[in-house]
Formats: sequence, structure tokens, C-alpha cells
Amino acid sequence: MEGKRVKAALSPETYLPTAILLFLVVLPHLMPNPFYVHILVMMAIFVVLGQAWNIIGGYGGQLSLGHAAFFGTGAYVSTLLVNAYGISPWFTLWLGGLSALVLSLPIGIICFRLQGPYFTIATIGLAEALRLLVLHFREITNGAQGLTVPFKGNAPWLLQFDSKFPYYYIALVMAVVTVLITRRMERSRLGHYLVAIGQNQDAAEALGIDSARAKMQALALSAFVTGVAGVFYAQYTYVIHPDSAFGLGLSIQIALVAIVGGVGTILGPALGAVIMECFIQSTQIIFAGQYPGLELMVYGALLVAVILWRPRGVFPWFARLYGRVVARLPAVGAAQA
Amino acid sequence: MTDEMLLEVRDLAKRFGGVQAVVGLSFHVSRGEILGVIGPNGSGKTTTFNLITGFYRPDQGRVRFAGQDITGLRPYEVCARGICRTFQVAKPFRELTVFRNVLMGTLLRHPNPAAASARAEEVLRMVGLEGRAHTEAGSLTTIDQRRLEVARALGTEPRLLLLDETMAGLTHTEVGEAIRLIAGLRHRGLTVVVVEHVMRAVMSLSDRIVVLDQGTKIAEGNPKDISSSPRVIQAYLGAEYRHA
Repeated sequence: MEGKRVKAALSPETYLPTAILLFLVVLPHLMPNPFYVHILVMMAIFVVLGQAWNIIGGYGGQLSLGHAAFFGTGAYVSTLLVNAYGISPWFTLWLGGLSALVLSLPIGIICFRLQGPYFTIATIGLAEALRLLVLHFREITNGAQGLTVPFKGNAPWLLQFDSKFPYYYIALVMAVVTVLITRRMERSRLGHYLVAIGQNQDAAEALGIDSARAKMQALALSAFVTGVAGVFYAQYTYVIHPDSAFGLGLSIQIALVAIVGGVGTILGPALGAVIMECFIQSTQIIFAGQYPGLELMVYGALLVAVILWRPRGVFPWFARLYGRVVARLPAVGAAQA
Repeated sequence: MTDEMLLEVRDLAKRFGGVQAVVGLSFHVSRGEILGVIGPNGSGKTTTFNLITGFYRPDQGRVRFAGQDITGLRPYEVCARGICRTFQVAKPFRELTVFRNVLMGTLLRHPNPAAASARAEEVLRMVGLEGRAHTEAGSLTTIDQRRLEVARALGTEPRLLLLDETMAGLTHTEVGEAIRLIAGLRHRGLTVVVVEHVMRAVMSLSDRIVVLDQGTKIAEGNPKDISSSPRVIQAYLGAEYRHA
């Protein structure tokens, strides 16, 4: 049976992604040093954030420089609820995402009928306004000192673990799910419409595409995922500040992850997250925090480099390499048939 | 002539600053006909298209389509009702393939991407672009870009197609091909409005012609009457055409 033989054989297209995923599962055990595991967790979080940004910024072509607004909203809403009412973070994970989604609605409704830089400016303004509000309402938010999640030791129900490994696996699941959501969106009508709008909005409208609605849907999804990541980050680091949760630096970093990796691609932001995190960690190690604000200069330099040499990010280069590897690998199990 | 009105434009007006682009314009399009719209540059042809399709909001006047008032609807709503237009300056999704460009149109009536893909392939064959399906739209020749504009519009399965200077910049032979393509559309039950400068095309395609000058209608009739009307010749065709 011809068909059966083909099915029995494992093509490199199938087993290579599986192998990579398995590698990611065992990876922290290969380098159990908590510092390295921490880097892996941060990478996974930024895969989620970069991919969420990519939905509206990459596919939809709507440049957001205020995604920290959604991240910070998730982080603060969750931490306030956890501290005040003892709600399990497993629930606030969703509530944080929903809060971010609700926050995104007025921005989208106001900005997406317009073309031009309005959305970008509005996102920057939103994040900055939230940062100042959090600083101002000290009685609730504890102002500049930020909020802490009380440490309860190993309490899985409270999304707290005494080892970094569980955090890594949760973050990995979130990253994989986000990539799968993006893939599904890319293949749906919404995904196609976003690409059309990003290319030429007038032409898209002339073809019956409600651009404002498509962008709103993309932004809502993006904000939700970003908010969920914010909740997880707060639980993981135990402490959030107005600057770390709502700062412009974070917004830029989220956008850069997608831009460096490759906007409008399913795996670009994942590559971008790995590259950015390595970059940031190594500059921190080399300069050991001697120069405050250095990371912003690094972001700037990286952005210039990407725009000059790799305007589509590293993804196309990686895709070619991957394609070549797949072509050279043999199919497993085909020989016997 | 089965004089059933598909589109009716009544007393339309649009002003941009001090320029009255369209003023008191009324005309209609009957089901199944090809209507030519001609007029010198700046006479309001493209503005009229933009007013009908919702890219501009008229200052005054109504647009009725298939018995319903569609004045002031947004472009995507107008398209969903069954009016699709092409642009004078082609607006392809440059970085996407020809196939994907057309897919963006067919997704309107076929939300399932698989069904939309099948439909897009049919449309590509209809306009003779099937061999270019995987070419990036930005690298197409002029005639193929025009074909793509038409294909995308057809993908939305319109009842009324508005073609804005589809022939501009085409060679003599290509104009012949374009004429055949458009004439073929009528046989598929489409009603078409062509804004066109290429006289040969307008004269051979149109059942009826509306002539605009300075934002208003100065003449209307069959191609033969129009080409012999002294007022039209003076306003638009000029002395050269009389010699020709």
C-alpha cells in the first residue's frame, strides 16, 4: 500500500519540530544552574509577548509602542486581587488577560477608523498614563515601591514553586500555545485580512474588508495574551514596579523581539526572544550595571542594525537554513518499506 | 433595453476646499449594461467613483443601489452590498502573490479559506492570470496589474463593477485584450461602469455614455450620438478627434 508506507515513514518535517520541542523540555536539566533556567523562563515569556505584539504589529501592521500597558494591567490586576482576596493566580491569569482586553477596546475603537500614527501615539500615551496613575494612587498600588506577591514556599495552587523548573514548563506551554494560536489566526480569514490591511488599507476596504473591525479583533487578542503574560511575570518575579510593568523600555523591548525575529511570521518572535534575551543578559554581565540606561542604547543599536541589514528580521535567514537541514535529513522508517 | 435600474445617482455634490469637484450630478445604470463615463481630466469621474463606493462622503445627493439607499456607507459595506471598484492607480498588495491578492477578494463571500482558494483559482483563470499565480504582485507588468485589479474585484462577486481607467498605459494590442475581457464580463451577468480615456475602448464597449465636464453631466447617449455631439467635441474630444 503506497499510502500506508508514506504514512509509516517519519519525514524530517514531522520529527524535527518534535525533536526541537523535546530538546526544549529537557533543556533546563542540561543546565540546571538557576541563573540559566531564569534566562530560559524570560525567553519563554518574551516569546509570548513578542508573538502577542506580532498579531497586531506584525500581521496587522499597526505599530504599538505601548504594549507594556496591557502587560502592566495584567500584572497589577492579578497581584492586587491575589493580595486582597487571596484569589488563585490560576484564575487571575484569565482576569488579568481580560482586563487588558477591555483596556484595549477604547484604544482600538478610537484609533482604528483612522490611518497614520495615531494608534502608535495612543499606545505610548496609554502606557504612560497608567504608569503615572499607578504612581499616584499610592494607597492602592503602593506607588513607586511596587507590589510584592507574599512568598508562600512551594504552593502550586498559588502558582508558586520553590524551584524554577515548574515556572519554565508553564512558560514553555504558554509560549507553545501562543505560537499555535498565531498559526491558527494566520490561516484564518482574520489573518489574511490583517495582512491585506497592513499592505494597503484602501485596497482592503474596497474588497469588503472592515479594517477597523479586523484590527480591533487582532488588538483584543494581542492585549489578552500580553495581559496573561503580565500575570505570569508578576507571579514569577514576586515583585512589580510601575517602571518595570508599564515602562516605555518594556514596550520597546516587546516590539523589538518581534521586529528582530521577523514580523508577520509564526516563529520570528520566538527567534527574536532568544536573540534579544542573550543580548541583554550578555551586556548586563559584561558591563555589570555600571551604566544605567545602557540597555536602551543596546535596543537602539539593535534596531538600527536590523533595519539596515535585516529589515524582515532574522526569520527568512533561519527559514532557509531550516529548509536546508530538513532537505538533508533522511526520513525515518521509510527504508524498510 | 431592459431598463431596470441597478444604480441611481441623484443630485450628487462634493466640494474640496474651493473646488467644486462634483455638482448636481445625476445618472443611472441599468441592469446588465456597460456604461461609459468620459470627460476631461478633473471633470469629476474618479470623485464620482469615490462618492459611490464610500471613499468620500457626498455633501449632498443620494446613491441608490438595487432599490436601497447606500449613501454614506463605508467602502467595505458598499462592497458587501455588491459594488466593487478598481483604482486608477493600481493598488495591489505588492508583497503578496497574485493568488493571495485575489484570495483577499474571494474571502468576502467564502469565509472558509479553502473554499476561497478554490474560488480564487477560478477567478485567475477567468482573467488569464493563472500562470502568474505565484508571482509577487509588485513585479507584474502593467497589463497584468490591471488584470489583477479586475480579478480581485471579481473575487468579491459584485453585481456592479466600477472600472477606473483600466486601459491607461496599455499598448494597442493590450487594449484589445482588455476590451475582450470586459465584454466577457457582461456575459457573466455583470453590470459595468467604465471610466476611460481610451476612446476606442469606450466607444466599442459602452451601451451608453455619460459625459462629465467640471463636475457635472453635459451629455448622455449612445456612443454614436456622443461622438457627434458638438458640445462634447468642444468640451472633451477636441478638434483632433474630429479629424480622426
